Amino acid sequence: MNEIKLKTRRDFLRSTVLGGAVTWTIPSFLSQTFNSLQAEALNQSQAITGKDGTILVVLQLAGGNDGLNTVIPYSNDFYNKARPSLGIKSNLLKLNDQFALHPALEGLKEIYDAGQLSIVQGVGYPNPNRSHFRSTEIWQTASDSSRFEKYGWLGRYFDNACKGSDPTIGVTVGRQMPQAFSGPRPIGVSLENPESYRLAASDSPEEGESGSSMDFIRKVNEPEAETNSGASIGSVAGRVSSKLSPLDYLERTALDAQLSSDKILSISRKASNQGAYPASQLANSLKLVARLIGGGLSTRVYYVSQGGFDTHANQSGTHERLLRDLGGALNAFHSDLKAQGNQERVLIITFSEFGRRLAQNANGGTDHGAAAPMFIIGPKVKAGLLGGAPSLAPNDLLNGDPKFTTDFRRIYAGVLQNWLKTNPEPILGRRFEPLSVV
Amino acid sequence: MLKPISSSDWNFEKAAHLLNRAGFGGAPAEIDRLVELGPEKAVDSLVYFERTPDNTTNPEWAKPDPERVNRFMEMRDAPPEKKKEIRQQEQRQEREHVQQLRYWWLQRMAFGPRPLQEKLTLFWHGHFATSVQKVKSAYFMWRQNEIFRRYGAGNWLGLLTAVSKDPAMLIWLDQAQSRKEHPNENFAREVMELFALGEGHYTEKDIAEAARALTGWSIDRPAQEFVYRPRMHDDGTKTILGRTGNFGGDDFLKIIVAQPQTGRFISRKLWVFFGSENPTEQFVDGLAAVFRANGNNFKPLLRAIFLSEEFYSPEVVRQQVKSPVQWLVGSVRVLERDLPPPQLSINAIRILGQDLLAPPNVKGWDGGLSWITTNNLLSRYNFANYLALGESPMAMPARKNGRRPRMPQAARVDTTKLFPETVQKDKERLLAALQKRLLQAELKPEHQSAVRAYLDSQGEIDELDVLHAIRLVMSTPEYQLT
Repeated sequence: MNEIKLKTRRDFLRSTVLGGAVTWTIPSFLSQTFNSLQAEALNQSQAITGKDGTILVVLQLAGGNDGLNTVIPYSNDFYNKARPSLGIKSNLLKLNDQFALHPALEGLKEIYDAGQLSIVQGVGYPNPNRSHFRSTEIWQTASDSSRFEKYGWLGRYFDNACKGSDPTIGVTVGRQMPQAFSGPRPIGVSLENPESYRLAASDSPEEGESGSSMDFIRKVNEPEAETNSGASIGSVAGRVSSKLSPLDYLERTALDAQLSSDKILSISRKASNQGAYPASQLANSLKLVARLIGGGLSTRVYYVSQGGFDTHANQSGTHERLLRDLGGALNAFHSDLKAQGNQERVLIITFSEFGRRLAQNANGGTDHGAAAPMFIIGPKVKAGLLGGAPSLAPNDLLNGDPKFTTDFRRIYAGVLQNWLKTNPEPILGRRFEPLSVV
Repeated sequence: MLKPISSSDWNFEKAAHLLNRAGFGGAPAEIDRLVELGPEKAVDSLVYFERTPDNTTNPEWAKPDPERVNRFMEMRDAPPEKKKEIRQQEQRQEREHVQQLRYWWLQRMAFGPRPLQEKLTLFWHGHFATSVQKVKSAYFMWRQNEIFRRYGAGNWLGLLTAVSKDPAMLIWLDQAQSRKEHPNENFAREVMELFALGEGHYTEKDIAEAARALTGWSIDRPAQEFVYRPRMHDDGTKTILGRTGNFGGDDFLKIIVAQPQTGRFISRKLWVFFGSENPTEQFVDGLAAVFRANGNNFKPLLRAIFLSEEFYSPEVVRQQVKSPVQWLVGSVRVLERDLPPPQLSINAIRILGQDLLAPPNVKGWDGGLSWITTNNLLSRYNFANYLALGESPMAMPARKNGRRPRMPQAARVDTTKLFPETVQKDKERLLAALQKRLLQAELKPEHQSAVRAYLDSQGEIDELDVLHAIRLVMSTPEYQLT
C-alpha cells in the first residue's frame, strides 16, 4: 500500500522531541525549540477529520464586485437608465426573463445549466459600511456593522468544532492569512507553492527529491509574477489577532509550519490537475486546492482570493476580464473535482465585501455600494436563484444602493449547519435563520 | 502623558531598541556609540537627521521625461505591430526602473546615513499606500518616495498637501479623472477613512461634498505635473465636517487638519509603528497633545516618543513582529554584509509578504501578527540560510558520517568581522556574542540550550559552525521580533 504517513502534531512531538537520535538538522533544531508546546499538544486529542468529510472552499472577490453587472437585471428599466453606457445589453447569458449572467461568465452558466449553481441575490447586512476594510472585516468576522469582533467566523468554527485537529484543517492559498481564519490560537496554514513550502534541506537532496533550498533560491530569482490587479484593491486579508503573545504565536506557527510542510508536499504530488484552467493567479490557486483535495489532505476549509474588483474607472474591460477568469477558473476546478471523484464533497462559496452603486459614475466606473449576489457551487446545492433581488426603484434604494434582502450570516449559518454539520449559534454568536443552500 | 526617560537608565538594551525602531538596527559598535551619547543626544542624532549629510544620488531616469508623451502619441498612431513593440519596450523599461528604485531605496535603508528618515519614508509608504501596479510609472513612484523623505518629519498639512497633489496619488485613487458632473469619491473617502481621520469620524455626505471640493485637481500629462483645471471644478457651496463654503481641495485638506481627531489618528498610527499595538485612548490623547502643541509637526512628537519611559517599557521592547523589510535590512546590518543582489533582495521581501511599491491595497500592510503565516515563517528561516551561508544550498554539517557540504560559492557572512577569534573558540562566549549581536537580548532558556547543544555537538568551532549557529539563531521565534 502506498499510504502516506499522516503525522499528527502528537506523533511529531513524540518522535522528534521525546525520542530519536538528534542529528543536526534545522528541523531537529526547531523541534528542540518546541519543548514548551509539547505538554499541551500531547494532551490534546487528535480529532482528525478524515478524508471523507465535506469540504468548503471560500473564494473572496476583493475590492467590491459589481453585482449588478454580474447577475444582470437586464429587463429592469431602472438598471438600464442608471447605466447608460456601462449597462450590459447584448450577449447576455439569460437565466430567466429578468436576470442574466455577464457574457464573460460562460463557465458559470454551464454549471448553472447543470443544476449545480445557486445564486443568492441581494446579500448584505444592516447599516452597510462602504469602506473596503471595514466591510471586509464585517464579512470575515460575521459581526454586526456596529460591533467589532476580533476573530474570524472560520477561526471560531475551527476553535469550536475542530478542537485538537492538525493545522491543515484550514488552508489558505496566498501569503496572507485572512482574518476569517483568525482565532484565539493560530490554526490553519497558508502557502503558495508546496515545492517551496519547506525548510531548506539539511543535507544534499536525496535522489529524486528536489532540494528545497534550490527551490527557494530559484523562486527568489524568478521575475515578478503578473497579477491582474489594476485597481487600488489587490487583496484585503484583514488584520490577524490572537490571545497569544507574539512570541508564543510565532512558536506555534513555526511548529505548524514544520508539521504541515512534508505532508503538504507529498500530498500535492499525489494528484495532478485535469481540466482546462485559464492562466491566472486564481486558477493557480484553485489548481493547488484541487491537488490537495485529490491527494487527501484532511482539510475542512480552503480559502482563495481574487483581487482587482474596485472598478471606479473604466470598468467594463477590467470587469469582463475578471469575470472571465472567475468563471473559467471555477468551471475548470469544478470539473477537476469531478474527474477526481471528489465533486460531491466540495462546496464553493464566493463573496465580496460589497456590491457597487446602481448608477455609473462619470469615469465609466462605479463607486462602492452594498448588497450583491453570492455564488454557491456544488452538486448538492439548491440550484437556481435564491434570496430576493433588491428593488432598483429610486425610493427603495439606500443612498443610491440596492438594499439587502438576505443577511450574509444566514448563508454562513446554512453552510455551517447543513454542510459542515455543526451548530452555527456558538460560532455566529446568535441565531440566524439558516438559508438552506444545500 | 509621556514620562521622560532618565539618563541614568540609559544602556545598551535601550540604545539597541532605539536604533531598531527609529532605524533598522545595527552592529554592537554602532549601538555603543549611541550609549555613549546619552539618551538626548542619541535621539537627536536620529531625529535631526538633516544635520547629517546624505549624498545619495538619484537614479538617472528620475526626472520628467517629456518624450514619454510623444512615445505614447506615436504608439497611438502606429500600426498594430509597431504599437505592440513600442508598448512592450515601454513596459520593459518601466519594470527595470521600478526594480532599480526598489533596490535604490533598500540600499538607502540598509546603509544610508539617516536611518530615521528612511524609516519614516517606509512608514508613509505604508500609510499612503500607493502601488506601481496602477500608477505604472517609476518616475511617479520615485517622486512620491521623495515626498515622504522630504516632508515625512515635517508638518502634517504640508505632507498631506504634497502627497495629494502629486501625480502618483492623483492616479492611484482616480482623483485626476474626477470632474464636477460626477465627482469620483475614491480619494476623498480614503483621506477621511485611511489617511487622516479614521472610520466613524465623518459621514458619507462629507465624502460626497469633499469629492466635489477636490474636483479640478488633475495631472498635466505632458509635463508630468499636478495641474488645477478650473473647468472641471465644482464651484458651488459645500458642507464638509460642519463647515460650509465654496471650498476647493486645499480648503478641504485644511478643514481635515483642523479636526482634533486627525492629531489623535496620526499620532496613534505613529505610535503603533514605532512603539506598540493597542495603546490606550488616554495615552493617545497624550501623544496628540504633544503633536498639537507643536503645531502639528512630527519631529517634536517623535522626539518625545523616543525619549519616553513608555517607549522603553517591557510591553514595547522586543514585542514587535519585524516587517519583511525590517527583517532583511536589519539582518544585513547586524551581519555586516551586503544586501543580496537586486532581484534576490526584492523577491525575498515580496515572498516574505512586503512587496515594496506594490502594497496589497490602499490601507497598506496590516503588519503585526499578520506578517506571520506558516508560509512566511518557512521562507524567513530559509532566507536566513541564504543570508548567513551564501548562495549554495547549505546544509548543517554532517561530520559524524564524514560528509561535509560544499562550501558556499557566493557572498556569505564574514565571521571574522563579527566575532574575534577568541570568542569563536569559546562556546559560551560565542553564544553570548551571537545573542548580543543578533537579538540584543537573550533567547528563551530552551532556545538557548538548543543553540548550545548544537555548538557542543561540533567539537572545535570553525567558521562554518559559526555560520550555522547564526542561521539557527535567525531561525528562532525571538529573531522575528524586535
